[in-house]
Amino acid sequence: MTSRPLSTADSVSTPSPPALEYHDVTVAYGRRPVLWNIDLVVASPSLFGIIGPNGAGKSTLLKAALGLVPLSGGEVRIFGRPLAEVRGRVGYVPQRESVDWDFPVNVLDVVLMGTYARLGWFRRPRAPERLLAMECLERVGLADVATRQIGRLSGGQQQRVFLARALAQRADLYFLDEPMAGVDARSQEGIFRVLSDLRDEGKLVIIVHHDLRSAAEWCDNVALVDMRLVATGPAAAVLTPANLRRTYAGRLDVLDEIGRAVEEGGRTP
Amino acid sequence: MFDSGGMHLWAIATAATVAAACALTGSFLVVRRMSLLGDAISHAVLPGIVLAVLAGGRPGGALVFAGAVAAALVAVGITHLLRTRAGLAEDAGAGVAFTTLFATGVVLVTAVASRIDLDPGCVLYGILELVPFDTVPVPLPGPGSVEVPRAFLTGAAVLAVLSLAVVLCWKELQFTAFDPDAARAAGMPVAAVSVGLLVATSLATVASFEAVGAILVVAMLVVPAAAAELLVRRFHVMVVLAITLGVSGSILGYLAAWRWNTNAAGMIAVVLGMEYLLAALLAPGDGVVARIVTRESLRWRVACEDGLALLWRAEESGVSPSQTPRSWFDQWTLLWLAFRGRVTLGEGGLLTPQGREEARVIVRSHRLWEAWLGRNVELPLDHLHPPAEWVEHHLGAAVRERIAAEVGGHDADPHGREIPPER
Repeated sequence: MTSRPLSTADSVSTPSPPALEYHDVTVAYGRRPVLWNIDLVVASPSLFGIIGPNGAGKSTLLKAALGLVPLSGGEVRIFGRPLAEVRGRVGYVPQRESVDWDFPVNVLDVVLMGTYARLGWFRRPRAPERLLAMECLERVGLADVATRQIGRLSGGQQQRVFLARALAQRADLYFLDEPMAGVDARSQEGIFRVLSDLRDEGKLVIIVHHDLRSAAEWCDNVALVDMRLVATGPAAAVLTPANLRRTYAGRLDVLDEIGRAVEEGGRTP
Repeated sequence: MFDSGGMHLWAIATAATVAAACALTGSFLVVRRMSLLGDAISHAVLPGIVLAVLAGGRPGGALVFAGAVAAALVAVGITHLLRTRAGLAEDAGAGVAFTTLFATGVVLVTAVASRIDLDPGCVLYGILELVPFDTVPVPLPGPGSVEVPRAFLTGAAVLAVLSLAVVLCWKELQFTAFDPDAARAAGMPVAAVSVGLLVATSLATVASFEAVGAILVVAMLVVPAAAAELLVRRFHVMVVLAITLGVSGSILGYLAAWRWNTNAAGMIAVVLGMEYLLAALLAPGDGVVARIVTRESLRWRVACEDGLALLWRAEESGVSPSQTPRSWFDQWTLLWLAFRGRVTLGEGGLLTPQGREEARVIVRSHRLWEAWLGRNVELPLDHLHPPAEWVEHHLGAAVRERIAAEVGGHDADPHGREIPPER
């Protein structure tokens, strides 16, 4: 937000690069590929859903962009650059189960973590950071529980704490991994509202999501993923019965089989 | 040379210093759910120390610290290799790597014990009582110097280094401990922090070796931090409290060992264990005592409310309450209700106006819930009473109002009895 990678002069002559590009990305756990040759380009602003069955590699797709899993092949570019150069512009909300909610911190402590990367070494969060964190909490409707220990929140509140922490990062590109898991209908509506506000502010919001109906309702564009990219585009055009059958019913067992063969160094039948 | 009081003071100071260093490091191990790593490292450093001493290092010297840290890193590396290359589960891999290294250390130290200045018993259990006899002169600002135990200097140096590191890198340490994935995505040096914690654990362990030995150092690493985690809800408060518990436990433990003439390190570990026990008993909210108090006070409230409702129903049906038999527990609640001005004693208890008001609300809650269940859940009539008998104690005014609106128009419960008004 403070410094755009492209100067104004550049952006007049050449259009700014898309916010997120996957080029032929393959990811393997051990030797077994779980994502095959993903090619996907997403431009800001958008609220973009990643949809697919369990084990389809949706979370891995996010982690690949965030440098949390090594790529076996291909590359990811964010705002036209490698991740390391634009980390400050990227926010991440991991799955809620990925952390220990009994950890001795309160809600405000967690949201303040969103400001840590920008602060740099040896500097402590002070009044401006606290103010920002409280603003972010207000935005997700949790200002009144700022001093509560995080383990005493409901699932929906915990998700919103994570969302507030990502907001405090003041990113231009947000990745959210299953932000609606374990969230009641009212919180879900509130979270979607914050996300679409972010989109309206010109940001790119990528969410891994499992509910087709709310995905069709809230997301501008979606990608159907099942180890490979099945389809991408506007929700209405992608979430067709034919595509869903290709994703959910007719899983490409061949990818599974080849993956197993690669892992074991053998051959498929 | 010291008089005997001064010697004890130096021993206590040494124990307190290494306890502080261990509690500081242990706090991070405990919240990261890596307490066993502390156990493992404290054992795995042994061969590194022995080899360093064989190579001419002095106990507590730089060479010994380097050897210990190297051994810890080797052990963690082996665990990692066992997991990634041999497919062994993390805990099993650690079990193999650390015990093998420890055993190697034991074999080494026993085989070469005669040749080096390292006593197997000291390595395992520590000899806190002998710490004050091994001193080095420390120059004073003025002329002359003072003899300070080497183990104290070592512990103080390690404590200073670790404290400085924690204060300077607090953000990074906290973020990576709580949410390593998000921290890594935000560009925090997560791997470096993990290695740093490993090194810190090795340093704290080696510094504590002479005082408490390889086995009991685990108590200093884990127990104060685990107790502190039970007691407070903020991480920095927890760290300070863990250090306080560690230091006070060492002082008390040493004094107790002196009084009863037993092993100081063992006594310190016992006192730390008792501190943990106290914390588990007295912890706010989740502690044993707090839970008993919560449960019993609920039981008492329910009994009082049941007593009031009983009297109200007796008034409603015109039966004298003195005819219903009462247990001794109910007699006590009746006395309490009389003391609080809710009933007057006599004729088995009569409601005062205030008591009648409260009793009416209980009965209203009861019958509203029966009416709601009757409408929304398929239950036979005689199954409605038990759930209402339980839920009546937990309904507030707002929810009563919502239920009343939902069952609206009905001023009788499914048994045909009147639902009394809110006021």
